[in-house]
Amino acid sequence: MKIETNEKLLVNVSVMGSVCQPNFQSLPAEPYRLDSDGNPFLLPSWGSIVHNVSVGDSAFGWEADCIHPGVSIKYSNEAGNRGLNILSCVGNEAMIMTGSAKNSIGFVSGKSGRFSEQVIIHFPKKIREKISINDKILIKSIGVGLKIKNFETVFCKSLSPKLLKQMNIKISNKKMMIPVTHVIPEYLIGAGSGLTSESGSLHIQTTDNLEMRKYNLNNMKLGDIVYIENYDSSYQHGFLRNAWAIGIIGQTNGPRAGYGPGITILMSSKTSNAKTKIDPKANIVNYIKFVK
Amino acid sequence: MKQKSIKSNAKTLIKMVVAGYVSQPSFRSPGYIPDNDGKSVIYPGMFGVVNNVKVGDKAFGWAGDHIEPGVSIDSEHINEHFALHYMVCTGNKAIVRSGEAKGSIGIVTGEHARNLVHFEQNTLDKICVGDQIDIITHGRGLKLLDFPDIELKKIDPNLLKSMNLKIVDKKLIVDVAMELPIRIMGSGAELNSEYVDQDLMSGDRSLMKKLKIDQMRLGDLIVINHADHRWGRSFKKDYISIAICIHGDSVMTGHGPGIMTIMTGKRKNLGWKINKKANIKNILKVKI
Repeated sequence: MKIETNEKLLVNVSVMGSVCQPNFQSLPAEPYRLDSDGNPFLLPSWGSIVHNVSVGDSAFGWEADCIHPGVSIKYSNEAGNRGLNILSCVGNEAMIMTGSAKNSIGFVSGKSGRFSEQVIIHFPKKIREKISINDKILIKSIGVGLKIKNFETVFCKSLSPKLLKQMNIKISNKKMMIPVTHVIPEYLIGAGSGLTSESGSLHIQTTDNLEMRKYNLNNMKLGDIVYIENYDSSYQHGFLRNAWAIGIIGQTNGPRAGYGPGITILMSSKTSNAKTKIDPKANIVNYIKFVK
Repeated sequence: MKQKSIKSNAKTLIKMVVAGYVSQPSFRSPGYIPDNDGKSVIYPGMFGVVNNVKVGDKAFGWAGDHIEPGVSIDSEHINEHFALHYMVCTGNKAIVRSGEAKGSIGIVTGEHARNLVHFEQNTLDKICVGDQIDIITHGRGLKLLDFPDIELKKIDPNLLKSMNLKIVDKKLIVDVAMELPIRIMGSGAELNSEYVDQDLMSGDRSLMKKLKIDQMRLGDLIVINHADHRWGRSFKKDYISIAICIHGDSVMTGHGPGIMTIMTGKRKNLGWKINKKANIKNILKVKI
């Protein structure tokens, strides 16, 4: 049985952000961050236009700290940026409004959390070459308020109806069957716990490589849809037995403790009304019209 | 002996854009600086668009102070300023994004208090103060797979590939135009070695002449013996630092041409060979 939603009642609102510049602290602060063993490192981090990492690529192996694939945008004041971050939903269409890439179309592929608070957008590589820092990008946001019929306890977050429709979710024995690439135990969830689940990201902990291999997490790709066990993101992110959450891998791994690949949460429920089906193709590049 | 290829992790590096804006020449009131003898002088050189001094030209002898060849870009937002300094690498591609020269392509030739970008003369003629220039940064995190103890800083993988590096007796040999003695290394010792440069102290003019340091050119690769530039810039026996000359001479005590570190490591892994042509103008085939 297919799922039914209240899609027709949702409001489509434009939100805007500008392509943002990487930032570093001023002197005498050192530019280095510490990896999980205490060694200093200096590597590209969130923000900006990233030319050679895209959704669909590996989330591991880059010389980077939680890189956002594609293009990252932000609004210039905090309240406006919060509006951008909350209303933007994964799968929403984004249009470039200024500069040499004007009128090009992309889609939202994730969000980032505390300390960066940006929206991550995929544009084809050829378009990225024309995009400049400060270019304005408009997102026709739709998805906040999305509900699934007969699953009132399931909270949809940052999830566009367009993406939900493509995720091949079926209903069987009053449970949602959700195709995902990986199942993540709650104890491997790190940065983001305790913060808001309406925007931002939740990060997998990757310091313990043996555990990573045990759950086959090392082959995770950007854009993968993943399932978190015993985790409740209904209002904020936190541990709860029998709760579940699914999300999309939005940013890459990083060397800091607690900061592995970032997840933008798409759905969560306090009750065990979902089951997973492992499917390596459960990635946004297979769900949304995608040009690398 | 068959030459072993130099392996790096270039394929895992991120290409990320950082924007800067063409800077305006600026002075602190009253504009004078003291030269080595205490005499007050005013010289141009830093900031802005320098139309007639370019990478490959001499570093000494100009009527200028700390001359930054080509176009100097910066951001007035302090956190963006530091992103420019920590992410931009020599050899990176630059694209003019606003103004009359929009769409023109240049190349990063180094980092001083601002980032320095070379453009061909007909592009320079069109560039205005305030124009936005995006740098496609690439190189942060670059490592040599067979030399994990050699630290690389701020070089584009293409520059690394073009540098005529050789491995002799398990040691990496870099072509450099000249060697600088550690005791003439001055201003910049107070900074972390990811930021800006260090000046050689050219105040002892007769020594500069004797060691032929006064023949240094902008863009020259140089070596400093007993210099450890891994986490700061300091004297350490049997450490080697390789750098690029990025700005011109200075009249101020403790200052002189600036060198920007690109490699640092132990002498047992890292060595040099003098080659007068070891200049990034030749290595990167920069068109003037």
